[in-house]
Amino acid sequence: MSGLDQLLLASAGTLLVAFLLGAWRPASWLFTALYAAQLALLLRMPEAASATPAFVVFGQTIGWTLDAYGRFFAVITVGAALAASWFASGEWGARYEAAENSLRALHSAMAANVLAMLMLLASRDLVTLFIGWELVSWASFLMMALGGQRAMRAALRYVPYAMGGAMAVLGAMVFAHAWTGTLDLGLLAQRLAHLEPARLWVLAALLIGGFGVKMGLLPFHLWQAGAYAEAPGPGTAFLGAISSRMGLFAIALVLVRLITLEGLPALTIVPGLFGLREALAWIAALTIVLPTFTALKQNDARYLLAWHGIGQGGYMLLGIVVGDAWGSAGGLMHVFNHATYQAALFLSVYAVVHRTGTADLNQLGGLIVRMPLSFLTMLVGIIGLAGLPPMNGFVSKWLVYRSLMTNGMPLLFLASVIGTLGTILSVYKLLHNTFLGQLRSEHVSIREAPWSMTLPMLALCVIVFATGTAPGLVLGWVAQAQAALGLPVINYTLGGVESSRGGLDMLWVVGVLFGGFGIGALLFYGAGRSKRLHQLDNYAGGHFLSADVRYQYSDNFYAGLMHRIGPLYRGAFAWAESALSSAVSLAATAMQGVYRQQVPALFLLATAVLALFWVVTR
Amino acid sequence: MNWTGLLVELTLMPLVAFVVGLGLVLMMRRIAAKIQRRVGPPLLQPLYDIVKLYGKETQISHGLMHDIGIVMAVGGYIAAETMLPVPGMNGIADKAGLLTLAYVTMIPSLGLALGVGQCANPNGSIGIARALTAMLAYDIPLVLVIFGVAWHFGSNNLVDIAAAQQQAGIAGWGAVQMPLLALAGLFALHAMLGKQPFEIYVAPAEIATGPMVEMGGKYLGGLFVMQCFQLYTAGVLYVTMFLGGGENWASFLLKVFAVVAIPVSLAYVFPRYRTEDLLRLVWKWPVLLGLAGIWLAMR
Amino acid sequence: MITLTVALPLLAAFLLPLAGPLRYALGPAVPLAMAWLALQAWAPAQAEPFVIAIGGFRPPLGIAFYVDTIAVLLNLAVAACVLLLWPWGTGADAARKQSLTLLLAGASAGLALSGDLFNVYVFYELVAVASYGLAAGRGTGAGYAAAFRYLVVSSLGSLLALIGITLIYFRAGTLNLAHLAELAPAALHDPLGLSAFLLLLVGLGVKAEMFPVNAWVPEVYAAAESRVSALLAGLVSKLAVLVLVRLLVLVFPLDEARLALLVLGTLGIVTGELAAWRARDLTRMLAFSSIGQLGIVLVAFAIPGEAGLAAGLAVAVHHLIAKPALFLLAERWGGSIEALAGAGLRSKLGGALFVLFALSLVGVPPLPGFWAKFLTLSGLAAQSGAAWWLAAAAILLTTVVEASYLFRVVGRLYAPDDEGRAAAQGRLQLAGAGVLGACLIAAAAGAVPLGEALKHMAAQAGDRPAYIERVLRPHPEVAQ
Repeated sequence: MSGLDQLLLASAGTLLVAFLLGAWRPASWLFTALYAAQLALLLRMPEAASATPAFVVFGQTIGWTLDAYGRFFAVITVGAALAASWFASGEWGARYEAAENSLRALHSAMAANVLAMLMLLASRDLVTLFIGWELVSWASFLMMALGGQRAMRAALRYVPYAMGGAMAVLGAMVFAHAWTGTLDLGLLAQRLAHLEPARLWVLAALLIGGFGVKMGLLPFHLWQAGAYAEAPGPGTAFLGAISSRMGLFAIALVLVRLITLEGLPALTIVPGLFGLREALAWIAALTIVLPTFTALKQNDARYLLAWHGIGQGGYMLLGIVVGDAWGSAGGLMHVFNHATYQAALFLSVYAVVHRTGTADLNQLGGLIVRMPLSFLTMLVGIIGLAGLPPMNGFVSKWLVYRSLMTNGMPLLFLASVIGTLGTILSVYKLLHNTFLGQLRSEHVSIREAPWSMTLPMLALCVIVFATGTAPGLVLGWVAQAQAALGLPVINYTLGGVESSRGGLDMLWVVGVLFGGFGIGALLFYGAGRSKRLHQLDNYAGGHFLSADVRYQYSDNFYAGLMHRIGPLYRGAFAWAESALSSAVSLAATAMQGVYRQQVPALFLLATAVLALFWVVTR
Repeated sequence: MNWTGLLVELTLMPLVAFVVGLGLVLMMRRIAAKIQRRVGPPLLQPLYDIVKLYGKETQISHGLMHDIGIVMAVGGYIAAETMLPVPGMNGIADKAGLLTLAYVTMIPSLGLALGVGQCANPNGSIGIARALTAMLAYDIPLVLVIFGVAWHFGSNNLVDIAAAQQQAGIAGWGAVQMPLLALAGLFALHAMLGKQPFEIYVAPAEIATGPMVEMGGKYLGGLFVMQCFQLYTAGVLYVTMFLGGGENWASFLLKVFAVVAIPVSLAYVFPRYRTEDLLRLVWKWPVLLGLAGIWLAMR
Repeated sequence: MITLTVALPLLAAFLLPLAGPLRYALGPAVPLAMAWLALQAWAPAQAEPFVIAIGGFRPPLGIAFYVDTIAVLLNLAVAACVLLLWPWGTGADAARKQSLTLLLAGASAGLALSGDLFNVYVFYELVAVASYGLAAGRGTGAGYAAAFRYLVVSSLGSLLALIGITLIYFRAGTLNLAHLAELAPAALHDPLGLSAFLLLLVGLGVKAEMFPVNAWVPEVYAAAESRVSALLAGLVSKLAVLVLVRLLVLVFPLDEARLALLVLGTLGIVTGELAAWRARDLTRMLAFSSIGQLGIVLVAFAIPGEAGLAAGLAVAVHHLIAKPALFLLAERWGGSIEALAGAGLRSKLGGALFVLFALSLVGVPPLPGFWAKFLTLSGLAAQSGAAWWLAAAAILLTTVVEASYLFRVVGRLYAPDDEGRAAAQGRLQLAGAGVLGACLIAAAAGAVPLGEALKHMAAQAGDRPAYIERVLRPHPEVAQ
């Protein structure tokens, strides 16, 4: 029994246990343990492991093999499920069940997602890729649909997107098979090189477009924020951490393994100037900028983070599209980094929701004293998300920026920096409106979330910080994944990368930073004691303020900025979506008209006459 | 590079920065006084101010984050100074580079923002919102400038950049090679320093000095120190990118003071822009200059 | 022996009203016996198709039943469907329905086995008569109106088919399919022959729910009992398609004929699925969806070669399993979709089955619906020509529409039921749908052997020379 067999069995077993015991509360801890076991199996696995089951389609053997590239994503997937199920295992789960929700459904959905993702990540041909893809789509639908009516609406909005993507992939699959005669990804890569460009274009567009839907790539991103944000807490964290990265996994597979970096320049739009690569880079850049600025306008913490999740996907794709060792390493590493800080962020938001009952950024504030650990988690998380040192998000973004600089792509560089700046603004608003500023009177007696929830949050924080300080920990996996996928491999050190033209050593940067903080602290605490005021003892505009006067500055936080860029929010994508939906609706009405005709007999005769007419005139 | 040598550099560099920063603050005040036809403060006035602020009896803290915010504001700049090469000392400049430096200098701002946030004063929050908006404004031309410089010198390493200019002489200076970018950089620098007309985030009459509204004693003292570092960092960064860095201390300091003198002198003859006007201005001219400069540099 | 599957139900249909209390046992026993008979024939037919000359007269003079795997499979399907959808009950009304159902069963079995066009026409008419009676069975005004509409269209269609058959007879002088197959290249591959095919296509297309002669479908399915809709959509449509396929393979293997099938099928897909998107009640939605699915069946059969036959069979059999089950579920859940809120929570198994069949219809692997779609699309992609690729694109795009409306229903099924009005599923319906669901899951598990069987079946059905050989020049031991 190979390592992959064991892993898939363990994963399927988790699903079975979730289905059987999911409703039994004491078993909740079991799932965390089961995911931990899966993680252990994954880490023990050799370079590439094949699953024993295989079957034959069109005379070709179909099966599963997990290589280092898939394993990189698999580790993140199982890790995210581990953290999320841990979060759900204690008081959160009890409360969830008390509110008449099905804990069994939640655990089953999570286990199904993990199993489906593992199958996708281990696919080695078009059929298994599509099977995995569809399973992932519908497993995440299951997760999305669990969170009540609003969630169901968001999930139903997801269905046409997901199906559209899946059908594009299916179309590409059957045409690839028809044109090259193979389903195997390796053979396909060889034969695609000899395919005529027009057909290669069709395949590339269908595959990338189809997979891009899941990733929330522009213009297929509208479904994602709502669908993720409305899922039940740990589900949101899990989906936000990894689900949409499956799209990135597949796109990178198509770009690097099927089309290959050498074949990519052949796909041109304006020969010599603009091709698929440039187009994708720009789509990635727009995916960074536009969703980030949509996030800036959100007033619900979950939606804000979910929109950022879409935007961050752009960095990953951009890094991979640039395609050099540093850029693609940055892109891949960002998958890991994003998963860790995004999970931490969502969990901290849900810790706040657990205590206060709301994620509305206009109804929170000042919770820092009440929930210090949740605050710490969110602080670490937003520094990671914004991509500032010393957290891991900085390193991966730095690699992407650096490769854009080295490759001379100023406008893409600018776009990615604009995305980062927008993120800084938006996450500060998130943190400020939740934890800083005025404490509301109804939140005065709130306690910190229980340990079952804070421990996974803090564990994620540790990872975010540790892999920011010693990025070599992750870059090792990244380098293996690069090698397995066929990308140039990054030459890394524990602290980052070395280069005569400007490397990065995070060990030093973080060391110096904390040295600086130490000196700052010495200066600060050396200079006389300060008097600590009570949190509610405030004064502004010449008045002492009590808790019942609300003066938290939260709504329209960046009023000046919005004054300037507000008119730029046109909602063009939403408009296009509703226009398309109206068009389908109109066509559907017309079609119903066809079936509502009063004299079908006449219609039948007319058809017969027309058919005969066709024969005669042919 | 041996360990003790590096350790000495890491200690000396922030110290030098602090002293030079004090000088820059003094210069700023003297220039203001000249323009306003006042006498101006004595030589050690900035130092007196800091000592006075730190020594105040009443120190009001709004909570732990308020304190840590100040620590981060000062500490972040201390760290940043070790990444800025000065004559004879490179610190860890070769391990961090231009891009990292740009991001490390955001840490103090983040610290300040966190500290102000806990003060629960709406004026402070409004000030931070405006300051962050201003950052969004000036960082765009700034990163264009950084990109152009890094591309021109083929390196992200400030040590390399300075060395390349010193080798080529004045004709090889960034400002001569890339005048448009140098101009854009100066513009961005001005906005970054938050001096008039870009000080809407302080707006004393409107939001009671914004971020500083709840700061007194050593808290304000910390911000004062931060300002010293900020002036120094901005000046040295500009000098290293465009004016050949520091061959020796004399010319280096001369250049730094000259660079900082420009925005400071301009500041006192301007009124204040509203946030949206600031955005429009900064997103238009320096960005256009920067793009044109990059186009020239990459041609 | 297999001839009994035709004779037995026909006989029973007439005897049933006379059988008194015995009929409660006799009725369901007939489809059981049919199933048993069909199973008996399975192994021999699988090994080698055989011909049964009725009355001992050898074709082309006598009439013959051609027994290959497809025919047996459809016979089996007839038996299974009739059993699952049996009109239980004791009243006079039920007795009438039982007789009609048996009539339908016998005629359907005959249609599947018939080896000449004359018999095909006779059995087709019998099926039609039985289905008129069943369609009006609910006895409501709307039911009668819809059934009358259906009657008019269908008999007009039969008339056209008859004209087509006449034309063929006029040209070839025979109606035996094997004989026709032999004569066709000389006698029928000309405009007149093509016209005959098209007339048959339009005529038989009425029952095959082919666009544009399927306007009766939504009204009848909405007005008739779901049981009947299930029979019509699941079974009868497939039989009409089978006749068309036999004609296409044996007599008219022409590009024009395929093109006609392809174009009409594609139009059926587009119109059916889009119309379903707007449907506001479940039965109508399923009816429109059925039109779309039948469109896919036609498109699949239009693909030349065994690939097309295999794909068409896969889609047809899948639809044969899925649609009756969905119609069974719609028996209690008919009416406005909005009113379904919470129904899936009230009846957990019903909700789960609906989701299962919806997923399979949409084509989610590893359910059989996926493999059926995959085979069809692969076949289409392997052809070259804009029409084929357009059909593939139409299937892909309408699948998105299909998923969207089916899951809109799922969304309602699991919405909170504030007023507690959600209808529970009936036990009988759940049992029927459950059996079909089990079939579906079993098929998913056994996809690989099933695929082999399908290939074999397609090879048998597509082997034109062998068909001629077996019917016209039989080896003595085969002709019984």
